[in-house]
Amino acid sequence: MKLKASLLLDGELEPQEVAPTLAQVAADAGLRDRFTLYGLAGDALRGNGTPDDGFSRRIFERMRREGVAIEPGFDPLAEQ
Amino acid sequence: MLEADADAGLVRLAQSGDARAFEALVVKYQRRIARHVARFVKRTGDVEDVVQEAFIRAYRGLGSFRGESAFYSWLYRIATNSALAFLKRGPGPVVLQEDMGEERADGAFEPGVSDGEDPERLLLAKQISGAMDKALARLQPELAQALLLYEVEGKTYKEIAQMVGVPIGTVRTRIFRAREFIAQRLEPVVGHQRPRRW
Repeated sequence: MKLKASLLLDGELEPQEVAPTLAQVAADAGLRDRFTLYGLAGDALRGNGTPDDGFSRRIFERMRREGVAIEPGFDPLAEQ
Repeated sequence: MLEADADAGLVRLAQSGDARAFEALVVKYQRRIARHVARFVKRTGDVEDVVQEAFIRAYRGLGSFRGESAFYSWLYRIATNSALAFLKRGPGPVVLQEDMGEERADGAFEPGVSDGEDPERLLLAKQISGAMDKALARLQPELAQALLLYEVEGKTYKEIAQMVGVPIGTVRTRIFRAREFIAQRLEPVVGHQRPRRW
């Protein structure tokens, strides 16, 4: 399953494998850690190995707190 | 959607309402986007705010993403706009700080020290770099080659298979084994820093 987490990160799974693999990774703390560490390893190789320290978690928490949803017609590239 | 966009599968799932798919994309790209934003914005706390804003705008606008460009290119443009909007709103222009680091010709990034950078965080980044160096020195050469070609040179699995002369399945396995070897050595360093959800 760790191999599939690695392939998920790289977009190298067969299309029909993406959803079930994501579900398994999301449901398993060990696999989520691996997914994160594999990503960190790649960034560190590119000279950007800063720790996450909850950075992504704070994004998710803010999105839930603010009830952020996909908005049909919203253009994220429009001038802010 | 672009055939070559490695994120197409996760993006499709996110567009269909699976928030976990978008979270996986955040985990994947947070550092690259933060590094990009830090070229415009000086304070670490502001960088985080701008990155959050960029990801939130991307999520809100997922429906408008048609895949004419790669997802990361789209996200990069959103982050650029968010950084520029922040600078317009801010108390003073803080643009392209020289001490924030620079992109080298080979694509690697030389990190600098920003105002308000947490010393503990800098120490941890140094420890991660040290653990990476040690892991790479002990990694089997064919595994290191596959991972470096993918992560640093930006080659696809198919291109690596052709360059090295092995089946694509071997490339998959080598990249995975290289990552796993490194992950086992990074884990004790970053263990206490693990985010809760991912």
